[in-house]
Amino acid sequence: MGYPKLQELGVEVLSISVDSVFSHKIWNETELSKMVEGGIPFPMLSDRGGTIGRLYEVYDEEAGVDIRGRFLIDPKGIIQAAEALTPPVGRNPQELLRQIQAYQHTLATGEVMPSGWVPGEPTLKPTTDLAGNVWKVWQPRK
Amino acid sequence: MLVGKKAPSFTTPAFHQGKITNVKLEDYLNQWVIICFYPGDFTFV
Repeated sequence: MGYPKLQELGVEVLSISVDSVFSHKIWNETELSKMVEGGIPFPMLSDRGGTIGRLYEVYDEEAGVDIRGRFLIDPKGIIQAAEALTPPVGRNPQELLRQIQAYQHTLATGEVMPSGWVPGEPTLKPTTDLAGNVWKVWQPRK
Repeated sequence: MLVGKKAPSFTTPAFHQGKITNVKLEDYLNQWVIICFYPGDFTFV
């Protein structure tokens, strides 16, 4: 699941659906604890009535559920990244880790991460001189 | 879209490691947090 890695990076996770906390409890006991040793380690929030989903623009009024939206929020409370997928396709944990590492790097150094960046690859230092000269220091992958 | 904007505040009940508690978004100021919405318990992610 990558939660230990997220903890190493200092990131907390909150899951949330319109189900009650009692439903979360039973789901954890009957199924999730069989998939994750010790059960789910992070808080499972209840969004009864879809109030929070509406605030985040992910509540489906017709279906009465929150769609599969994921928000990455920085230490100042700003949403840096968001992704939403329809039900058949699961999220990609690797992409989430990549984004977190990229945003944490940018926060720490002021450098920016070009398209396709993964940890270890070159970053760019945004300066006025760089405008029009990115091609000298970076090329897109073919 | 909300990207680049302040994450909307909320306070709501939660199930966490065997206990029922209340969670506020403000509890997580000064750290990175991921919120994962999903349609329902007992559905396959």
